[in-house]
Amino acid sequence: MSENDFLLLVRGPLLTGATIIFMLGIVVRLLEILVLGRKRNLAEPRGSAVKGGLRTIVMRSIAERETLQRTAFTEVTGWIFHIGFLVTLFFYTPHILLISKVAGISWPALPTTVIDALSIVTIITLLAVLIHRIGNRVMRFLSRFQDYLVWTVTFLPVLTGYLAFHRVGLSPTMLIAIHILSVEMLMVVFPFTKLMHAFTLFMSRYYNGAIAGYRGVNS
Amino acid sequence: MVEIANDDDFRRLLEGLDTAGQRAVAAHFVDNVLPLSGDDRIRHVTEIIAKPDAREDDLSMAFHTARTVTVDTHNRCGAECDWQDQAGYFVARAALAAVTPADQLAGGPAFQAAMSSRMARTCMGIGTAEDTAGQERQAQYRILSEFIQSQE
Amino acid sequence: MSGASLERGIHAFKEAIDAPVASFFSSCVRCGLCAHACLFFTETEDPKYTPIHKLEPLRRVWQQEYTFWGRLASALGLSKPVTDEDLADWETLVYDSCTMCGRCSMICPVGNDIAYMIRKMREGMAVAGHAPPGLIGATQRAVTIGSPMGVKLPALQAQIRQVEEETGMTIPVDVEGADYMLLLSSMEIMNFPEFIGALAKIFDQADVSWTISSNAFEATNSGIQIGVSEIAAELVQRIVDAVEKLKVKYVISPECGHAYMAIRWEGPNLIGKPYSFKVVHVLELLDELREQGRLKLSSKESQRLTYHDPCQIARRGGVVQQPRNLLNMVADDFAEMPETGTMNWCCGAGGGVSSNERADELRLTVFKRKKAQLDAVRPDAIVSACSNCRIHLEDGLEKYAMEIPVLSLTETIAEHLAEKDKSGE
Repeated sequence: MSENDFLLLVRGPLLTGATIIFMLGIVVRLLEILVLGRKRNLAEPRGSAVKGGLRTIVMRSIAERETLQRTAFTEVTGWIFHIGFLVTLFFYTPHILLISKVAGISWPALPTTVIDALSIVTIITLLAVLIHRIGNRVMRFLSRFQDYLVWTVTFLPVLTGYLAFHRVGLSPTMLIAIHILSVEMLMVVFPFTKLMHAFTLFMSRYYNGAIAGYRGVNS
Repeated sequence: MVEIANDDDFRRLLEGLDTAGQRAVAAHFVDNVLPLSGDDRIRHVTEIIAKPDAREDDLSMAFHTARTVTVDTHNRCGAECDWQDQAGYFVARAALAAVTPADQLAGGPAFQAAMSSRMARTCMGIGTAEDTAGQERQAQYRILSEFIQSQE
Repeated sequence: MSGASLERGIHAFKEAIDAPVASFFSSCVRCGLCAHACLFFTETEDPKYTPIHKLEPLRRVWQQEYTFWGRLASALGLSKPVTDEDLADWETLVYDSCTMCGRCSMICPVGNDIAYMIRKMREGMAVAGHAPPGLIGATQRAVTIGSPMGVKLPALQAQIRQVEEETGMTIPVDVEGADYMLLLSSMEIMNFPEFIGALAKIFDQADVSWTISSNAFEATNSGIQIGVSEIAAELVQRIVDAVEKLKVKYVISPECGHAYMAIRWEGPNLIGKPYSFKVVHVLELLDELREQGRLKLSSKESQRLTYHDPCQIARRGGVVQQPRNLLNMVADDFAEMPETGTMNWCCGAGGGVSSNERADELRLTVFKRKKAQLDAVRPDAIVSACSNCRIHLEDGLEKYAMEIPVLSLTETIAEHLAEKDKSGE
């Protein structure tokens, strides 16, 4: 297969397949949760569950002081690579162009130099996160195959994107094809793994805040 | 003999005693219920606190011992209650009160020791029709009365 | 428990899994932060005490029963079903090393309420026969005798009689039409009967119309702790029946953490219908009286006090500010612990842990967390509002040779009450 054919494959049927699995998978996973429902709370409320839920969705992003002292590495690296990943994904010109072609919406991009710097920071941070997951006793104890798989499919798009931009090693065609393939891997793995947290964390935080808010506690 | 008609009088008279006096009277209260405790350590504690010339470190040791016994003998949450064992717990609390600094106890060490001693007696009477606490109260009035007289 | 079996356990797990549970398990990213919020981990450094790990069997059931991929894998024989041995292995994690304090639930970055899930998991563990013997005994006694510690009415009556003699007051029992019905935990009746006298004094001064019910005086709900909702429901129903009979408006939950959670928040959901009465924690009521100017003090505490928040009352119960208002009223020198209010650390003994002799060593080891807080505050005395916390704090302080008395907030207030003006003016 020539490089161009490979690129066409990756941009064509593979992308379509990956997108279907991605979207269908997410919908199925969310429905699987919602369909279980929850029992109505018959106790007399002290506060508002809804307000509590919405509050926690936002406030849970801020680390609690005492725990932060114990877990600064995890919290800080977590912030960095999430922001790095998402900003690189949503504020890089070629990505915005792609989204605009597909969804018809667009927004201003950040300068490419910024994205470039952010990518390197993200790559380094992700490597540090992996070393921590392997080296730290609690992390190692908790981690399963899935955690390492997810790390890989999260890391590769950032790395391959960086390499594609800088035209390192292979031809531009191959580099971009590999980059798109790595994104497809991420999309396919997404609904079957903890990556679902990107969506379900809103629900979990809401439920948490609602349960607490009902009792008059800010969680 | 001083007439003690009720707990108001009782408490007032006790609060009027000095530290050594309260401790001495408390020791008598504990002594009266000592048989209800199966713990030899409390007997030892009572011997120490009964001495008018007890030294600071002996009293300190008595305090720690009494406290250890209260912690050891309390009925743990969820465990089946044994009121005879609980009596031992209250005897230990009475002994502990006797050596606790006065400002930490409402009514003073002697009054608290008296209350805990009565509670120990109450435990023994649970399920019976006897007014065991009332009997103990009368005994305590008598003890206090005799003590005050002996001091005059 | 009769008829205990793995099958019943797995069935109970399945029943317990609702949308929140599914969402929580879907969201966990294995970040390990929950471990650092849990005193059972921080004081032992043993990763197996990581809160989310305590739920592993429940998670596997969720995955295998409620996710498409999981069901597919099960059908193809590719997944490991949860075995009886797994549940046996998890018993100490679920019961000995967790008090359902909920600190982990406050920390999880994706919002998982882990304590909520532990409570549900215990339902399955219990009917599978994997709950600690001490708890099983307590629950059986609760059903047959009415009290997990076997405290029967004559015992309460004896304590009441003594309290009446000491205080010179009458403790109202079975008074129809009173406003408030007081519940008591076995711990109070057995270990701290002076609590009853303290409340009697306060209510007398504040002119509160109250009573105790001879049919339903027990607040402790060990059904909640072991995780058998039917039993928990039965214990709540007794209270509901007594309320109906005496026609009271409010039920007072005493100084016991899990009792409050049981009657205030779980109760109506256990019996399947809302209450016709309101439940107040004794601290809520005392704070109301304070606000209305009905508590008159003649003296204050001058020693340096700090407050230990019972987890089920503060973080899980919502009664956070009231004890502080009361302490500011009664104390000249009230200092907060470094982590306080809804982020205070658990004492380590709630949720059935202190009933469980097997957990004694662990319970006393993790007390070091509370000790560290106390070393930072250096109080003359600790105040709390849960009899179980109180006993365990005393136990821990004893073990670590710390000279700090533990006081009940209610009793402390009662001690400083002014004599009631007998002239009625």
